[in-house]
Amino acid sequence: MEPKLRVENLSVWYQRQPALKHVTLSVEEGEVLALIGPSGCGKSTFLRTLNRLSEEQVGVRVTGSILLGDLDIHQPQVDVTQIRRRIGMVFQAPNPFPFSIFDNVAYGPRLQGAADPAALRKIVEQSLRQAALWDEVRGKLRRPALALSGGQQQRLCIARALAVNPEVLLMDEPTASLDPLSTAKIEELVGALRGQYTIVMVTHNLRQAARVSDRTAFFLDGTLVEVGPTRQIFTAPQDSRTEQYLTGRFES
Amino acid sequence: MGRGRRLYGLSAVLAALGLAGFALVLGSLLKSGLPILTWHFLTSSGPGGIGPEILNTAVLCAIALVVTVPLGLMVAVYQGEYLRRRSRRVRELDHLRATLMSAPTIVVALVIYRVAVGWWHWPVSLMTGALALAVINWPFMVAVSRSALASVPDSYREASLALGASRFETVIKVVIPAALGNLIEGIGMSLARLAGESAALIVTAGVNVSQHWSLWGPGETLAVHIWYIRTEGLVSGRDAEAAATGLTLMIGISVVLWLASRAARLFGRSQGGYDGA
Repeated sequence: MEPKLRVENLSVWYQRQPALKHVTLSVEEGEVLALIGPSGCGKSTFLRTLNRLSEEQVGVRVTGSILLGDLDIHQPQVDVTQIRRRIGMVFQAPNPFPFSIFDNVAYGPRLQGAADPAALRKIVEQSLRQAALWDEVRGKLRRPALALSGGQQQRLCIARALAVNPEVLLMDEPTASLDPLSTAKIEELVGALRGQYTIVMVTHNLRQAARVSDRTAFFLDGTLVEVGPTRQIFTAPQDSRTEQYLTGRFES
Repeated sequence: MGRGRRLYGLSAVLAALGLAGFALVLGSLLKSGLPILTWHFLTSSGPGGIGPEILNTAVLCAIALVVTVPLGLMVAVYQGEYLRRRSRRVRELDHLRATLMSAPTIVVALVIYRVAVGWWHWPVSLMTGALALAVINWPFMVAVSRSALASVPDSYREASLALGASRFETVIKVVIPAALGNLIEGIGMSLARLAGESAALIVTAGVNVSQHWSLWGPGETLAVHIWYIRTEGLVSGRDAEAAATGLTLMIGISVVLWLASRAARLFGRSQGGYDGA
């Protein structure tokens, strides 16, 4: 089967500082790919390059290609807003807008011109159900999103990302700021979304990578050291550096 | 601990002194102004009335704000949201703005007088005064808007961009709604500042009121009126009249600031200006 995302020879620089060097990696349709590695290894940069969010920063240079289907998303003539509708993102800290719960989820569909209240309500309900938040917020959709707990806010952000019906979901350490119970809920949710969406998830938590991902990629100093089925990476890594990292011999 | 206590004591004494000074001013204003502060005083024109002055103050501030709020917001959006690299030109413009903001308002007004009255042959009028106030206020408005926009966390912008919004959509639908509370508070503050402006308006809007009110007629404001009757006034009871005018101005400004802070709190927990199901 054709991979969903094919990254070829991707390099990224901040000013003159290389952040990613010649990364080649494929993401299969419907799988959960975990990106692990010590801080500053380039895994977050990699994630933010996949939806071209990295280019919002000053002085970022990208070479190589990222194919979504057969579209090279880093070609200048490609409409970046289209790319971001097909590739959604969830951030490290929950960042709902200071609007109501409803308006948060409806933000993306409204950008695309959805105005019919009945249709919007349907999209909002469906997205909140998918994000396993519906039961907790039904009947309270007019309440401010910032009144929700941290874990609920993060699931709201997932619902907001799902509302535009993306094909790929990027998650940048989505549980880094959450308590264990909320983390477990998010992991459960990722498991439920597997198959429907292609998920690429950066995590600092190795156990989390082992729990939720189908495949794992290990980054070090801006290079992709190794990628493979999660079980194999964790039990029989091929590269000695992977093993060293997994056994805690790098600072993470 | 000891030092902290001493500093606390010092600041408490200073605060008490400040409050006492304010109370003194307010007390003397109330004492001499309150007896003549009647409905007739507030609405009639001519000696013993400040109706036209109230109207002129409101009109001048309104025009100046209508001009400078969009302008200031646009400059702030352009600088804060679009220009991500601070080029030399922007820094020079910023410098110019800071200079203009700290220039004495009378200087700005004399330049306006030279240009509007001298070159364009505008009369000394409400319009000329409004132009002066707009020029005085816009650098302040840019600063207020800049800081309001800067108070919106970047994570909101990122979330919006990641959902496929353009930079413009992000500014209109997320950043400005999220900054609305602070913006309103800032507008209220600049309104209070404009309402108290006197020197610039003496030159540009004049010190008398016309029988036939017009935007192109002279337009004395409350603050100018106080100055005028205190220095040039020949009416009897001018101290009382000045005090009553000052009280009116202070009450007006307090109401504006109170309303602005109420509105700011209302919009601080913003619904984002959306209707929705």
